[in-house]
Amino acid sequence: MSLPAVIALALGLSLTSYAVLAGADFGAGALDLLSGKRCSDRKAIAETIGPLWEANHVWLIFSITILFSAFPAAFSALGTALLAPFTVALLAIVLRSAALGLRSSPGAQTRSQVMLGRLFGLASIVAPFAFGTVAGGLAVASVQGVPIGHGTPAIPWTGLFALLVGALAVALCAQLAATFVSLNLYRSGEDLITERFRRRALCSGVCVLTLSVAALATSAATTPALWHRLIGAGLPALITGSLAMVLSLLALAGRWYGVARVLTMLSGAAVLWGWFVAQSPRLVGTRLTIHTAAATHPALIAIAISIAIVLLLVLPATYLLFALFGRPVLEVIE
Amino acid sequence: MSLPIATVSHLTAGRSQIGTSLSFHLFFAVLGVGLPVMMLAAEGMHLRTGDPVWRALARRWSKVFAVLFAVGAASGTIISFELGLLFPRFMAYAGGIIGLPFSLEGAAFFIEAIFVGIYLYGWNRLSPRAHWLSGIPIAISAVASAFFIVTANAWMNVPRGFQIVHGRVTHVDPLAAMFNPAWATETSHMVLGAYLATTFGVASVYAVGMLRGRRDSYHRKAIVLALSMAAILAPLQLAVGDLLGRTVANHQPATLAAIEGVTHTERGAGLNIGGFPLPGHNGDVLNVKVPHLLSVLAFDNPNTPVRGLNTFPKADRTPLAPYVRLAFIGMVGIGTGLVALGLWYWLRRRRGTHGPEDRLTLMALAAAGPAAFLANEFGWLVSELGRQPWIVYGVFRTSSGITTAPGLGVTFTAFTLLYVGLTALTLWAVRRITARPVQGLPTTALAVAK
Repeated sequence: MSLPAVIALALGLSLTSYAVLAGADFGAGALDLLSGKRCSDRKAIAETIGPLWEANHVWLIFSITILFSAFPAAFSALGTALLAPFTVALLAIVLRSAALGLRSSPGAQTRSQVMLGRLFGLASIVAPFAFGTVAGGLAVASVQGVPIGHGTPAIPWTGLFALLVGALAVALCAQLAATFVSLNLYRSGEDLITERFRRRALCSGVCVLTLSVAALATSAATTPALWHRLIGAGLPALITGSLAMVLSLLALAGRWYGVARVLTMLSGAAVLWGWFVAQSPRLVGTRLTIHTAAATHPALIAIAISIAIVLLLVLPATYLLFALFGRPVLEVIE
Repeated sequence: MSLPIATVSHLTAGRSQIGTSLSFHLFFAVLGVGLPVMMLAAEGMHLRTGDPVWRALARRWSKVFAVLFAVGAASGTIISFELGLLFPRFMAYAGGIIGLPFSLEGAAFFIEAIFVGIYLYGWNRLSPRAHWLSGIPIAISAVASAFFIVTANAWMNVPRGFQIVHGRVTHVDPLAAMFNPAWATETSHMVLGAYLATTFGVASVYAVGMLRGRRDSYHRKAIVLALSMAAILAPLQLAVGDLLGRTVANHQPATLAAIEGVTHTERGAGLNIGGFPLPGHNGDVLNVKVPHLLSVLAFDNPNTPVRGLNTFPKADRTPLAPYVRLAFIGMVGIGTGLVALGLWYWLRRRRGTHGPEDRLTLMALAAAGPAAFLANEFGWLVSELGRQPWIVYGVFRTSSGITTAPGLGVTFTAFTLLYVGLTALTLWAVRRITARPVQGLPTTALAVAK
């Protein structure tokens, strides 16, 4: 395996961690919006993501730094072609973080908490949607020979396929969050609220399944080249993802929350890897690949070493964090 | 686009957007570096003395820190994206050279975010000692983050560790790029600046409380703790600032000329003190010139010539020289004032207890906090505007780095509105935290002292 491939693999894993961990935090925002006036639901959501979401967010920063250090030409092309969706995603991420951070601060009154809650919810839907459209657009661009750059929107992030992937991302986030919250509530014996979140998990799971089928059908109809890659190199991921989606619904139906959580994370990861494999080794468009966009060899070695340092430091620390707070936290910061 | 802002030039809009983002983030970054140390010190004092006032201070600061960290992490994310969104051609060039400190910063930020979760939510879950220990990685990784990011900035000022052959970057040496000649002075200057702004900022908040009549042990302890750190760090900062000045003198002659207001080359250059570059004057408003001092400070030799701005081609000198000079005067002036204030406080302190609490001292302390933050912002203006027209000094022009994508007027407007909103929200949240009565204290600690 070449050095760029190793780093691309690490980038993929980092993005996967972001998707399944921070994805649940975004989904929590969407659920928060659906909770209406039910304080119990909102509290359950806040307690599930409370101490974890800041750390989960760092996977995004880490992915960005790997991307621009190891594949600077690709980062540059992405920034130029996707200024609009990334700006939207950024605004949403910032509003989400601020709303969440400020809402959990003590002394906030009920009315302002409701307002911040809505902001948190809306922004949490917009961010994964924008990232989803970027992913969908990149997948399509990777099989079309459209040149990148100079003003022309070469990445079709507003196409039907991209929009469906955006919606799929939102649904996946919601399912992740609902499953996580259900598990936490189930463990603390809150049966009544658990049921509500289980239903939400089931609903969003059905949406995930429907949107996946719709997105695949769209790719088959509009971009056959992408479809062939998806059912070619992407087939193992496609099968894993479909199985995981169906089984996660069955697990939720049977109230096996722990299993459902693992399967939902797996289905999210499989969607992502289906995309990665289908467009590999291309990063942006057809010409910028992990080889042509790579930085020089000494730079890549430095990045590889720093990735190793990150993993050595971060994995045990993350384990500690989840060991302390992965189970229900009974007090929010007072 | 009919928005008036869209008529601002493409480059100006892009530069303004990243400039606004950086100055907004700097405020939170500075507190992110400084506050953990204050929290640890107060909590440590509580562990040692058992005095509940210390614990109450640490808890209150940690709540403010939670809000600031959330906003700071988000505004930092904006910048990591904006590097590619606004200056993609710069990043295509620089990403492979200076990526190392950025990815190491990723590691530091990870550790920080994880332990922030543990620390903030762990007050009742961990033993007091374990909780205190869980704050240490926050303080260390916050400094590490600042360190890595500033080495990248130092590289933009004094680029090393690569060659350009036929327009392509080759012979990259990531370590030489990171440890360029400016890394040590620039990073120390930034970290000290962050500690100073935080300590004077904290002192300022409690000085205002005292001015409003809350002269209790809670307020007094906060000020004593903050100033015992500040008084040591402020003189150090002057020394480091001097060393950084030498780095600039040796590697960025055009920047030196701009910050020191040297218009014409001088043999045995004098140091301009004051010398405000107001329009219509030749940088001589309220100027006191100390003969030979600039040559001594910059090159250790009273007769070494200092190049004047006019010797550089017009295209190679900063178009904003008066602002660079103003920001520099502001930074050095405030820094000197802070040193004096720290000295005054400790010279006048009552033996073994606390410093002067007369109205004048408290008012000076109240002003010192905002001033110290302003000094940090000025410092960044000096570094960023002083380097123009280069994004990488002498190698890569800012105008060559800007994106080709249209619409920067719109994004600049959107982000500016975002920052205005975020500032208001943050102030509101911090205000709500600090307006609440202090909990868990015996009434004697809050009794008004005579």
